[in-house]
Amino acid sequence: MTFKNRTYWLFLLPTLLALLIVLILPFFQGVYYSFTAYNGFQVSEFVGFQNYINLLSDSQFLYSLRFTAGFSIASVIGINVIGLAFAILVTQKLGKVSTLFRTIYFMPNLIGGIILGFIWQFIFLKAFTGIADFTGLDFFRGWLSDTQTGFWGLVILFVWQMSGYIMVIYISFLNNVPKELLEAATIDGANKWQSFWRVKFPLIIPAFTVSLFLTLSNAFKVYDQNMALTAGGPFGSTEMTTMNIYDTAFKIQDMGYAQSKAIVFLIIITLISVIQLYITRKKETEL
Amino acid sequence: MRFKIPFVLLILLSLLAACGSNGSDDNNGDQVVLDIFNIKVETTEQLDNLIDIYESENENIKINVTTVGGGQDAASALQAKFSSNEEPSIFLLGGLSDVEKYQDYLLDVSDMESAIQAIDGTLNGVSIDDTPYGIPLNIEGYGWMINKDIFERAGVEPDSIDSYETFVEAVEVIDSQKEELGIDAVFGFSGMEDWVVSQFSSHFTSPEFDHDEAVGYESDELNFEYGDRMKEYTDLVNQYNIQPILSLDYSTSVEELFTNERVAMVHQGNWIVPSLNSMDESFAEEKLSILPLFVESDEEGKIIAGPSWYWGINGEKDEEEVEEAKKFLDWMYTSETGKELITEDFQYIPAHEGYDTDMITDPTSAEIYEMVLDEQVGMWANNQYPDGFFSVALFPEFQKYLDGQKNWEEFEETISQSFTEMR
Repeated sequence: MTFKNRTYWLFLLPTLLALLIVLILPFFQGVYYSFTAYNGFQVSEFVGFQNYINLLSDSQFLYSLRFTAGFSIASVIGINVIGLAFAILVTQKLGKVSTLFRTIYFMPNLIGGIILGFIWQFIFLKAFTGIADFTGLDFFRGWLSDTQTGFWGLVILFVWQMSGYIMVIYISFLNNVPKELLEAATIDGANKWQSFWRVKFPLIIPAFTVSLFLTLSNAFKVYDQNMALTAGGPFGSTEMTTMNIYDTAFKIQDMGYAQSKAIVFLIIITLISVIQLYITRKKETEL
Repeated sequence: MRFKIPFVLLILLSLLAACGSNGSDDNNGDQVVLDIFNIKVETTEQLDNLIDIYESENENIKINVTTVGGGQDAASALQAKFSSNEEPSIFLLGGLSDVEKYQDYLLDVSDMESAIQAIDGTLNGVSIDDTPYGIPLNIEGYGWMINKDIFERAGVEPDSIDSYETFVEAVEVIDSQKEELGIDAVFGFSGMEDWVVSQFSSHFTSPEFDHDEAVGYESDELNFEYGDRMKEYTDLVNQYNIQPILSLDYSTSVEELFTNERVAMVHQGNWIVPSLNSMDESFAEEKLSILPLFVESDEEGKIIAGPSWYWGINGEKDEEEVEEAKKFLDWMYTSETGKELITEDFQYIPAHEGYDTDMITDPTSAEIYEMVLDEQVGMWANNQYPDGFFSVALFPEFQKYLDGQKNWEEFEETISQSFTEMR
């Protein structure tokens, strides 16, 4: 081994050790627990694949997976459309105003999920009821008390939180579009609409790779917002997979079973992320 | 590099500090150190105050308190303490499932003064084979918390409600005068909170388990012996409640609607007294009262009251520490200073005999204490449900019934099934 090689590994060692202790070892321990009946205190028996077999008939878990998938689709679309719209708005040449709006749009992202959840719970329960009483519009009544409004409540909350963050990514890509291309398009007689869709849009495709990846994986992992806004209610109909896993582990105290759910969930997220990255990367290279 | 050196130093320093503080905790001469694991966040300050007084009376004792709040987190934190060999000397037990979990550590407390003076029956929830493993923390009782003033203005004397029929009549009378009374609805039942639903169900499951914690804990089926009455009460509440009932949370129900006299009653317990006091000093004193539920028979009503937590002592610690832990708990509940603190400072309903009813600060709590002494109460059956049962099975299904998605037969069937499965 050369000296260079040795120092290379030496410098890497602390990080590798840390990763080993907090990530890799617990991961394998987790895989082991998923094959046992474990209450968090002691492993009572080794049950093989029984936990995984039970999963297939756990209707609440399967429901939560479907719900999470629906939530992710709705919020990924919402966040990217609104984030991009914001980015286009604030990259117009408006001077100081656009800096102000950038800050405002980004701000929800600085608030923690739990607090956001409670803020929106207040809006949906109190402010909406106030609006309903004032205007007599039934649309604003009874939010979060049924599955539909619970679902859209969560989507609105998450879109509101993430749009500003995704906006920042789009802004940086929009600013990097070469001026001469836009000028050339203008000289060729393209109007604003055309120069956006035909020139800018194809050039910011790489931004979609990043943004979709971030929003998709974050939407799947939402827990605190869900916990604070609806806590899975009414009747467990807005319970996301993360909450289902947490409840199994810490409310029912069935850690082994919860661990098997977590592993299935991990595999699903990994698959979706890899597929998404593969597809968008392919789009990038085609250009 | 400029950034890295201070950073490394910072880490080193904090490591040193951590080691340092660990080192200084031990070796304190002949001082005995007790570690208490506390879950009752509401009374942390009062507990600290009590400990200060105890420490000043007993110079050789040093008591450290760790307080972790919020239900599930506290349970896992306690578990973590045990797994990492930092077992506390005194810790709180929620019920028989905790006793079973920590039985290897727990000390038999039957010879302790604070166990002997505990009110008859309050040790049931912490006893296995007639051996008690904990000292009741306090009594908490719940039922219909009512606003007497609204009842009286509607022409209903709360004391005259002595059967299920008179209760229904009272509800109807109040409902018919909603506008004159200035209330939004009769009930402010918070159907968004799983624990409220769980406590409500206790009225109907406690008699099925003979009001005996051990029976409830060992039972592997729930048959809804009093399911018909539960349905009647549920329908009555749903009909005369603030809607939508499914998104009515605790704070709206108690701190907004009940305190501001916009509902006549809520299903809650004596723990709402401090928050009532913080809004209106005279409310608990003059207007608050508690009504029982009529379950086993039409004439005999019961509230649910009993210890919600128990102090367990870690018997695996060395003898001196165990002795001091026993002394501390005895002092807390049976000495004059302790008694005074428990009632006036903590504002607890004591779980021990020998307390003067006048010492209890509000009339409703005093009423509950009397009922417990007379053994006219049901037990916290919901504490003996299987782990997580109330939250992931009972609560969502109950909400489905309230929402009209399931009928009562389906509700009972699903719940009985999950009860057996989760046991």
